[in-house]
Amino acid sequence: MIHVPEYKEPQHSRQSESYLTPKKLYLPLIQHTGKPSRLCVSEGSTVEEGSVLAERDGLISAALHAPKNGKIDRITSFPHPLCGRAQTICMTCAPSARSYSLRYNALAQSGEELIERLQHSGIVGMGGASFPTHVKAAPPKPITTLILNGCECEPFLSADYRLMWERAEEILKGTEVLCRLLKPRKVILAVESHTQPVCEHIRSVAANGSIRLPDFELRILPSRYPQGGEKQLIRALTGREVPPKNLPLDVGCMVQNVATCVAVYEAVYLSKPLIERLVCFCGDAVKEPKNVWVKIGTTLQELVEEKVIELEDSLRKIVCGGPMMGTALDGLHYPILKGTGGFLFLSESFLRDEESPCIRCGRCVDACPMNLAPLEYVKRITRGEYGTLSDYYIEDCIECGACTYVCPARIPLVHYIRLGKQRLRAQTPLKK
Amino acid sequence: MWQVVIALIPAAGASLFFFRTHALWLLVLCVGGAAAAEAVIVKIRGRKLTLRDGSAVLTGILLALVLPPFTTWYAALLGAAVAILIGKHLFGGLGANIFNPALIGRAFLLSAYPAMLTTFAVPGNLDAVTKATPLYLLKSQGIETPLLPLFTGTIGGCIGETSAVCLLIGGVYLLARKIVDWRIPLSFLGTVILMSTIFWILRPQSGSPAFHLLSGGMLLGILFMATDPVTTPSTKTGRYLFGTFCGIVIMILRYFSGLPEGVMYGILFMNAFVPLINRYTKPRRFGTGKMSTA
Repeated sequence: MIHVPEYKEPQHSRQSESYLTPKKLYLPLIQHTGKPSRLCVSEGSTVEEGSVLAERDGLISAALHAPKNGKIDRITSFPHPLCGRAQTICMTCAPSARSYSLRYNALAQSGEELIERLQHSGIVGMGGASFPTHVKAAPPKPITTLILNGCECEPFLSADYRLMWERAEEILKGTEVLCRLLKPRKVILAVESHTQPVCEHIRSVAANGSIRLPDFELRILPSRYPQGGEKQLIRALTGREVPPKNLPLDVGCMVQNVATCVAVYEAVYLSKPLIERLVCFCGDAVKEPKNVWVKIGTTLQELVEEKVIELEDSLRKIVCGGPMMGTALDGLHYPILKGTGGFLFLSESFLRDEESPCIRCGRCVDACPMNLAPLEYVKRITRGEYGTLSDYYIEDCIECGACTYVCPARIPLVHYIRLGKQRLRAQTPLKK
Repeated sequence: MWQVVIALIPAAGASLFFFRTHALWLLVLCVGGAAAAEAVIVKIRGRKLTLRDGSAVLTGILLALVLPPFTTWYAALLGAAVAILIGKHLFGGLGANIFNPALIGRAFLLSAYPAMLTTFAVPGNLDAVTKATPLYLLKSQGIETPLLPLFTGTIGGCIGETSAVCLLIGGVYLLARKIVDWRIPLSFLGTVILMSTIFWILRPQSGSPAFHLLSGGMLLGILFMATDPVTTPSTKTGRYLFGTFCGIVIMILRYFSGLPEGVMYGILFMNAFVPLINRYTKPRRFGTGKMSTA
């Protein structure tokens, strides 16, 4: 674990804005972990807000809904912020104003009905990994502790923090729904010390009596990186470590991002599928860093053209996600996905100097939250000795970027590790 | 690397103060020789010029500091060339070398010119040639040098190792700025104190702990040679082990070998074990061992 500067202001304390009337939307069929969704519309068809564009294909997959009324222009390969290019539904939006109001009494529904609602709403984990929530909400083992992740340990990003201010009730009501499904003995909302101001607010919402959570606790953890990593969070809160190749549920825990809880609330209470989210636009090359509610599929290009975000001339780098784990983008022609928590716009001062040889100082070993020795990978990968990588448990790496951050030789260690994992997988035949 | 160079300024200053032009020439020759060798070899290897990383300059300074004042100009140049070419680039350059390059340079000179490398001068009387370093006096005649000269540096020895106080200032700088990890110096120092205390109690003529700490190249070794990141372990446990065993090997050499001093061979010997130490001191895998619950 390491300390990193937070750079959370001013987006941290600024009320979020909305841009929910996009002109065009670009919706990739792969926005989740698992199998891409199966198309159920064709080019030229007219769709309504909330209607299904592509349905769940298999268990680990998620449905995709139309974020607005509109017409499907094309279904084609389009730039995807995380996987190069992907099959994408391109639509032109028509003005529409569908409103959502309380439709269901969530707590009167059975577990199966709730799971089905999550399935039909296309909800995925919104903290980054985008694992379909309907699968996670029906675990094969009992869950004793449900952990709400409000840590947002990546510098700059502040969407989860704004959600905790502006949607605290929805977060807790979504959690109540998850509790009905998971029946945990304990619910812990974990935040980092930089989110101190919001804690009182959450406590008062939790205490107002209308939301029933089993043994609810708000825990303030020190601001360390990567505190919000699933395995690190579980250890910090429960003292339990998730063994290699195991899942949190193997130690009786489940971690849900606070934004996912809001989506669960909207799906179950309002029958609203996951079609919009809060996204943080920040960095030193954006004029007013802020959080904006946007429709899934809105492109950065459109947000800039519509002056929702204004960029400085000093812009040198665009990153999808946070500075530690994000992916660099080569332009503005990328859509916002269900799992996109933010974009960074950085000037020259954040660019990395050129890589120099490893002097084996071991700072990466000290920094690694998974107790790995990252320096051992670099020389093996540059020499092409992929076979020995698992001797150093390369598969345990969570790619948090702490090693890259502390490296005095500016070696992009995570980049090497990703390459090494890929090559190792290519060498190892898949187990049937 | 430049930070370590800065930390060596007090020790280099002391060498100039005590050994005057002898020290100046050695520093100039070793740094110049090392830099020239580096420039030539990176050119031959088709790499970018790496002088700016400070590593060759540092090797040059460290080599000069572990040479006696009467080292001839050709020996100094040769030592610098061996340090850079064989000690570093033969293994693949910065970061890939197994042994401390400066110590490789000195080890080479010690075997090539044994008489030259064991002939010293006493500060203040630079014309008088002597073989008598405090460790030599202890080993051959049983004379233990008082601590004050050992601390300030008015004793015979290599140009940079005599003044304990200046080495300590540099060492504290490195530790305070977190440029080097404290685990190696701590375990190294602890082992030397422990072993010398035991031997001192059993046999007072073997030298007091303070004497062993302040004499010879001990502090230079502990603070500047055994903390070179490239040639020491990268794991925390490994660093404790490395420091401890450096201390043990050096004290064994001092007590039981034919040589009065053992710092150089002790550290070089332990350098060879670093890959092995790294391999067997991997940090506990997350989710296994005592923290595991599955």
